[in-house]
Order: sequence, then C-alpha cells, then structure tokens
Amino acid sequence: MRARRLTGSLSCLVVLTLTAAGCGLSGGSDDGGATAGGCSVDKGNVGSGKLTGDVKGKITFQTTNLKKDFGKYFNGVIASFEKAHPGTTVKWIDDPGDSQFTQRLVADAQACTLPDVVNLNVNTSISLTKAGYLLDLDKKAPGSGAPFGPAIWKSSMFTDASGAKTHSAYPWYSGGIAQTFNVDLMKKAGLDPAKPATTILGMFDDALKIAKVSGGKYYATVANPIWRIPADWQQMGVKVLSDDGKSFTFADDPKTVAWVTAMTKMYQAGAMPKDSLSSNQDASTLYAQGKLVYGSTNPNYLRFIQQNNPSVYKKTGVAQYMLDDLGHTVGAPQYISVAATSKNAPTALSFAQFLTNAQNQLEWAKDPNVVIFPSTTASLDDPFFQSVKGTDPFSEARKIVAEDRKTSTADEIALSPGELNAITAQVQLAMQGKKSAEDALKEAQSKADELLKQGS
Amino acid sequence: MTAVRTMPDGEAPATAPAAPGAPAPRSPGRMRRALKAVTPGPTPDAGGAAIYRRWWLPWLWMLPAVFGAAAFGVFPFLNTLLLSFTDAKPLGGAAGFVGLDNYTRMLGDSDFWLATRNSVLYALIVVPLMVVLPLLLAVLVEKNLPGIGFFRSAFYTPVLASSVVVGLSWQWLLADQGLVNTWLEKAHVIRGAIPFLSDSWLILLSAMGLTLWKGLGWYMIFYLAALGNVPKELHEAASVDGAGAARRFWHITVPGVRTSMMLVGTLTGIGSLRVFTEIYMLGGSTGGPGGADRTLPFYIRDVGLDPLSGNAGYGAAVSVALFVLTLGLTLLAQRLTKEDES
Repeated sequence: MRARRLTGSLSCLVVLTLTAAGCGLSGGSDDGGATAGGCSVDKGNVGSGKLTGDVKGKITFQTTNLKKDFGKYFNGVIASFEKAHPGTTVKWIDDPGDSQFTQRLVADAQACTLPDVVNLNVNTSISLTKAGYLLDLDKKAPGSGAPFGPAIWKSSMFTDASGAKTHSAYPWYSGGIAQTFNVDLMKKAGLDPAKPATTILGMFDDALKIAKVSGGKYYATVANPIWRIPADWQQMGVKVLSDDGKSFTFADDPKTVAWVTAMTKMYQAGAMPKDSLSSNQDASTLYAQGKLVYGSTNPNYLRFIQQNNPSVYKKTGVAQYMLDDLGHTVGAPQYISVAATSKNAPTALSFAQFLTNAQNQLEWAKDPNVVIFPSTTASLDDPFFQSVKGTDPFSEARKIVAEDRKTSTADEIALSPGELNAITAQVQLAMQGKKSAEDALKEAQSKADELLKQGS
Repeated sequence: MTAVRTMPDGEAPATAPAAPGAPAPRSPGRMRRALKAVTPGPTPDAGGAAIYRRWWLPWLWMLPAVFGAAAFGVFPFLNTLLLSFTDAKPLGGAAGFVGLDNYTRMLGDSDFWLATRNSVLYALIVVPLMVVLPLLLAVLVEKNLPGIGFFRSAFYTPVLASSVVVGLSWQWLLADQGLVNTWLEKAHVIRGAIPFLSDSWLILLSAMGLTLWKGLGWYMIFYLAALGNVPKELHEAASVDGAGAARRFWHITVPGVRTSMMLVGTLTGIGSLRVFTEIYMLGGSTGGPGGADRTLPFYIRDVGLDPLSGNAGYGAAVSVALFVLTLGLTLLAQRLTKEDES
C-alpha cells in the first residue's frame, strides 16, 4: 500500500514536470486572429493598411542605460509629448543595458510584453524583425522615413519573417566613426599627421613603418582582430554575407586574404603588442597611456582620454575615417522601434516619431557631455554641426563626423557573438603563423556558416 | 555565468529521489502504537491525532523543499534533456524534434573534443593540487602563533575578491610587460617575455593557477575545521614514540582529514569542469588565440547560449555531455576512494 502511494506520488511529480517541460518547448498559440511573433495582437498592427487610431492613453517607452546621464532630457521630451497630445501618458523604463539586456528583451518579446516603444541595437532589431515582433513601418506609417538622412534610412532595413526587406525601426543617435591618433608618435615614426591613411591597407602599411622605429616602446594598434571584423572588410568593399543572408561570402574575396596577410605581417613585425592577440581590452586603455599611435575609432572615447590622460588628449589628432573602396562609412546607429504587440500602437508610433524628430534629436546632441550624432538631415544641417569653432579634438571630431554622417549607411548585417568569435579565432591562428591566410579564412567561413545555419 | 545556470546541476538528480525520505511513512505507525498504549477505549482514531495519519501529510511538510528541488533542479534538468533532442532556438517559435542529430553533430565536432580535452585536463591538474595544497596551508596556519591571524586572512582574501578584479590583476601580472616578466627579465632569468597571454598552453596553465590561487583560501577553511577534529593526543603519542613532523602528517593528519579530502576532491572536480571566467579573463572572448583554450562551458556559450541566435537544442546536448562527464568523474573518484579504503 505504502509502496503504491509512493509510486503514485512519484508518477504525479514526473508527469507534472514533464508537462511543464513540454510547455517550455512550445511556441505561442495561434487562435486564428491577428498574430505577431506568436502573440495575439490588434488587427491594425499587422497586415497591410496604414495604422489609424487616436493618440491617447498610456504607453511604455524603454531606453538602454540613458537615465543616469540624460534623465532631464528624456523627461523633457516626454512632458512635451504629453502636452502636445493631452490624455497621453508615457511611462519611461531605462534598462541598465548590461550583459543580460538581450535575454530580458527576448523574454519580454516571447511573453508578448515588449515595451510599446523600445530602443534597440542592430542585433536585436534584426532578430526581432525576423520573428515579427516589430511594427512594419513601410506598411503602417508610409512616408515616415522622410526626415532621416536618405543614406541611413535606405540602409536601415531588415529582413522580416517572409524574407522581404522592410523598415521596422527608426534610426536614432549614433556615435559616429573617425580616426584618432597620437600626433607626436606619428611624427616620431616619420608619418605626416596631416595626411593620415585613406585606406585600411594603407593604414596597415603605416603601422609597419611604426613598428620599425618604435622598438617595442609603443605600438600602432592592438592585435585582436575582433575589433576590426567585419568593419574593416565592409570598408574595403568586401561582401561579407550573401544577399539572402543564408551564407557568408567574405572568404571568397581576395581582399580579405590581403587583409589577413597584412594583419599577420603587422603582428609579426611588432606593430601590435603580442599579448593583445586575444585580449578583451580594446585600444582605448593603451592609447590613453600613450602607448598606441592609433586610438579608438569611436569619437566618444575622446572624453575617456581627456579624463584619463589630458596630455595624450592634447596630442590627439582627429581625421575622417578611411573611406577605402566603399566610399562612405558604415556604422550601426541606435534604433527606436514600435512593438507589433503594442496595445496602443497609434500612440506608440506617434511618440517614436516625436522622439526621433529633428528638433528633439538636435537638442540632445547639443548636450556638452556627449558626442552623438542625429540621424535626421535637418539636425545635421544645423549650425551647431556646420560651424563648429575650436580646434580641440572634441570640436574637430564633431565637425568631421557630422559631415560624414550624411553619407554614412547603417549596418545591415550583424555577426552574432558566436560567429564573430569563430571568425576571429581563425584569423588569430593565421596571425600566429599557424595557418595560411587562405586556410584560416576558409575555415572561418565554414564555421560561421555552420553557426548561421544552426541559429537561423 | 549564464552557462552554468542552464546546465544540468550535478546535485539535482541526487536531491530529487532523496526527498521522499524513508522515515516519513513510518512515523504514523509508530504514533499509532504509542497512541494505543496511552489512549483507553475502542476508538483511538477518533482523537485529533488522526490527522497525523493521513498519507499525504509527510508530503505536505516536505512540499516547500520538494517544490524547490523540482522547480530549480529537476525541471531544468529534464527540460535540458528534452531540449537536447530538439532544434529549439530563442526566437524560432515551436521547436522540432530532431532525434539524436544534436548528439551526432557533437560527437563529430572537433571543437567539442578540444573543449572536452581542456576541461578534463583542467580537472586532472587542478583537483589533486587543490586537495593537497590547501591542506598544507591549513597545517601551516593551524597553530596559534602570534600574528597568525594575518596570514589566515591573507590566504583567504582572494576568495573574497571578485573574479573580474582577480582576472584583471592577473592580466597585469602576466602581460608581456607585466610584473612577472619584468622581474624575470631584470633578474636575467629570461631574455624576451614569456608569452603567458598569447600562447594557448600557457593561457590554460595560467588559468589553472588563477583557479588554484582563488580556491586555496576557501578549502583551507574546510581543512582548518577538519584539523580541529584530529585528536591532539595522537600527535603527542606519536611524538613520544619518535615520529617526525612528516611522518605525523602522513599517518595522523592525512587519515584524520580523509573525509574532507574526498569532499574537496569532489567539489573541485565539479568546479573545474565548469570553468569559464578564468579562461575568459586571460584568453579573451575567443577563449585564447584560435579558441584553443575553450572549456566545455565556453563552448556551450558559443554555440547555444546567445539569446538571439543560439542553438538551444545543441547547447543542451553539450550540457548533457558535460553532466555525464561530471557524473562519470565523480563516480570514478568515489570508486577509487572505496578501493583504496578496502
């Protein structure tokens, strides 16, 4: 009797657990109504036809790690929106943006509770668009891309569930990209700071010259190729991913082979610290110590240099980023999207457009504590960016990057961390001389392809 | 670390079957006999004590613990097991059953075997050292000498420091122009830096050093507690009989802390198969140049844990392999100890 009870209880437990486990595996249910990403949604949010409805009621808005520094600005924008549209309330949430950010976001999406208006990066935009969690702006808000710079708007498109390219996010602010370098060290190496490299491989040639004279006292840059993949390749005009996004193509281009060969030469010649081959530290720390000729390509790091080593900051020169074969720069801006699962999509859409309009973006960019660049044409044309006075690195960067942003495009591809690690690892082996450039790239492509196939 | 959380817990399956403990169903019977003895009259069951005889009552007492074990041990474990037979992805909708595909892929993947080799090597080198070194340390600081508290605290400090801080300090120590290389060069021991952070073998060995350094203090405390239970009289008697310090250590101290050594061995065995942070801090996000220092948790992170595009099914299969490896090594260690004893 006792044994039977025990068996019964245990069976109950097992069945319960298995049932629960089964639930963990299943996706969302489809009740035949309008759905997005497996969630039941308002009919107006999906399908064709413009989104209509009153701008009123409550919405949630999520940013990523901006409350601490820019709380006043965002509260101001929210207050103006609520004033312009009486009866609306915007509840602002600021995600800390730590390593768990993506996990939380995915959990929200799967629970059909994405914030109505949400700040995304390129990786999350790509995945959430593919899974159908974001409002299709081409269908629901046609023509709403007009205020944005044509180059950035045209390139801010992601593949949706049906395989078609669509706009599902408004491009927002961006850090921009520029060359930063230590003028003194450049002169020491016999290079002209007034004529920095205009191609990636040109810069690598300069790095070899630096290695010849530095004698290990300073270096051109850090070795880990993770900081340069795939940005360098894109800049060189290499096609990284096939058009259908189903396979990698970078290894098929002789330019990538030339790039890996040049990286290997630089590493072997001592243009990069040997111990930085797989290090997590990017160029900014060593640059701030005056040990690198080339600093971070993110102009925002100028502030870090200014705070950590003012003497190096004073010696810092800024120049336009190498345009190479591509002819313009590429960089992922931050995005603002409206959730397709929003219960109040008309208000959310209206707020997303309000937040990203030229006036609001310009106001934020004027904050003296930050170097960020708006995505709207009118704000980039403003005298604030067009007639920058001063010759300090900060002002130089603002001038150069604002001009660059007008032609810059957004990243349409984003490597997953697994793909990036797999590709980087092979290039590291080539740099150590353990593999030829060709073999390393072929292996990198095959490993990345496998991850792409498994993960998509 | 996220990898550890989704992995089958080594202790989980052990706790679950232990929950319906044997004494529980026995107690109503005992109580009944006791009641019969003290309660006169024909219907002892009519008393309030009857409630204690319900079969489900012991379960009720155990419910919180059983629930905890089921929710955080058994369920994740079974879920991982089920996931390993699917092609589940974080944003891919419903998962499809793929049979043994994930396991077949795993066994044919050279990266998996490299990670397994690194993990096993880690355990084989770290476990014996972690069993012995903290014991020696504990013997050193056991005596109540003036100022010994300082040394005890000093040895324990690395345990309190965060892994990231420790990792950064070790990076500075082991860099080409770091403290260790600079000292050795100044002392004319070496010419040219030892590539601690760019040679894959040296990264792996340095990571083991870091694990040991961080764990010494922790297990020293285990041994200090155990040493307190070794009778002083035995040492005194042995001294009188003319046994030296080494002999006393070998014949009195070691047998006295044998149980603790087994425990430390098991715990560090499980711990060293789960190493991630040390490799990440010293070898970077690729796990050393070429990914040559990746351990199994590192590999699981790379293939299965990306919240956007990770292959949860494959990640789960590798997690199951890690579980089997952990269980296998633990059972092997137990068997070896038993044979040794007999």
